[in-house]
Amino acid sequence: MITLGHYLVVSGMLFALGLAGVIARRNILIIYMCLEMMLSAANLALVGFSRFHLVNGLPDYTAQSLVFFTITVAAAEVAVGLAIIVALFRTKQSVETEAITKLQG
Amino acid sequence: MSVFTLEASLALLGLVLLLLEAFKPEISRRTLGYTAMAGTALALVLLPLCGTQLPEFMQPWHQIDTLALFYKGFALVITLLVLWLTLECAPYLTRFTLDGKLAEMFSLPLIVCAGMMWMASARDLVTIFITLELVTISFYVLVAFARKSALSLEAGVKYLILGALSTGVLVYGIAWIYGATGSMNFDAIGKALANPATSKSAALFGAAMLLVGLGFKVAAAPFHMWVPDVYQGAPTPVTTFLSVGSKAAGFVVLTRALDAFAAPGSIIGSEVQSLLLVGGSLTVLLGSLPAIFQTSVKRLLAYSSISHAGYLLLALACGSGGRFDIGSNGIVAFYLATYLPMTVLGFLALGLMRVNGQGEDLGDFQGLAKRSPLLALVITIAFASLAGLPLTAGFIGKMFVFLSLVDHGYWGALTCAVIAAAAGFYYYFRIILAMYTTEGSEKPALTLTPLTKAIACGLALVILALGVYPRPLQKVLTPPAAAVVVK
Repeated sequence: MITLGHYLVVSGMLFALGLAGVIARRNILIIYMCLEMMLSAANLALVGFSRFHLVNGLPDYTAQSLVFFTITVAAAEVAVGLAIIVALFRTKQSVETEAITKLQG
Repeated sequence: MSVFTLEASLALLGLVLLLLEAFKPEISRRTLGYTAMAGTALALVLLPLCGTQLPEFMQPWHQIDTLALFYKGFALVITLLVLWLTLECAPYLTRFTLDGKLAEMFSLPLIVCAGMMWMASARDLVTIFITLELVTISFYVLVAFARKSALSLEAGVKYLILGALSTGVLVYGIAWIYGATGSMNFDAIGKALANPATSKSAALFGAAMLLVGLGFKVAAAPFHMWVPDVYQGAPTPVTTFLSVGSKAAGFVVLTRALDAFAAPGSIIGSEVQSLLLVGGSLTVLLGSLPAIFQTSVKRLLAYSSISHAGYLLLALACGSGGRFDIGSNGIVAFYLATYLPMTVLGFLALGLMRVNGQGEDLGDFQGLAKRSPLLALVITIAFASLAGLPLTAGFIGKMFVFLSLVDHGYWGALTCAVIAAAAGFYYYFRIILAMYTTEGSEKPALTLTPLTKAIACGLALVILALGVYPRPLQKVLTPPAAAVVVK
């Protein structure tokens, strides 16, 4: 029997993996993928909570509606984000974090 | 006509301007800029005239109260000023854009403004998430707008990564709050948190994640590292917008969320309050102390913006009670209203320096009083107010925060705030002193248009007026007696 706890553990692991990737990786594209993984972790938690929160015997769909919004927003974020990363690659010929260390002080 | 039609019309105007620019390239940037400004100004005029009634179906997730109306007006004012600042800096900005165009610089602020206005009315976590993202994603584009400048692109990428990270943390926090309380609506969350049967650890974990996510947006320590880099790299009008608009937006959301989390009787109230106190104390120190060593004025203003976020967090941590009838939410709104004119003036000075072919370092401000006495006087007022000199608006805002801390007996936080304010006097007055030295007076004078002079003087007058007689604004922000009883 799969319980809410199972969903939350998987979602927590996804979230932790994503966060670790953002902190440890040096390639901006990989970092961006890890950020998307964090959003997926949140979505999984939302769907899990929604499925196990019964109102009159039916799942409460408020949280699932947020999941659709999150997916849409993530798509918009990727569209803008990849455009900026491509622009960066054109100027610097690199998408490593070492390429963006000019602003300091 | 109800207020929410204004928001929709502004977003629509933004889209129309974007399409106009794409299909009618012969339209000059002045026409586009003035159209955007006219639309914003019209919305500002219409705001107090519009009705506040809402259709039945909107009421669960939308509200129009005093605070919402105030922040809507705030968003319109800062958007208007940013649009004007963009026109002002256009000769410099167009050097770094593709084919010398500025189109999105006029349409995106309108969309950001619509997002901030909608956010001020938000009543549930879904609305908060959507509007926050509308604002943040538009800002990604704005920050990286000067595409030919490597610094602007670098700032854009940094803002993108950290903004997306904060979004992830925020949604994860929302998921856990929903899991603990079973609702997305702030009123229902507040009720569930007052019930001892609600899981305290889950609710606290969710609230902490939400605070971390919002901490990124308002530049609270220890999530403030991106601020100096992004503020320095972004085009100056965008930096102004980030520093005032984005911060205000973050604090509206924090205000609404804390009304639910830290309401009297909430099971996680005291923990959330201590998180805010520790975060606020760290933020004032980590904003003020590094600012002492800055030579770039733009970077210095970025650190100053961090430390002001700290004072605002401390004000929020005080919650209800204390000697002031405007309450902590009112203090935050008041502080932001005083913060707007002084920050805009500071960045206006930077923008004018650039347009006149000069730099943004402390050395470039030397002898400014000889070269442009009026501008120097206005900047002096702005920086004195940022430092918190009596008789300026900044003093009143800081006084509210400090006395609230005294009333609640938060002595540790008060100590940090006093140290930060003392450091503030040092680094703001360093710029003022540089302006009044005789060195550097041989550099060319700055040219100011009559409109620039008028707006700069107007903002300086607002600072002085609020510093001498803050009562009218205070009255506007005082919640009606009925609302206090409900809380």
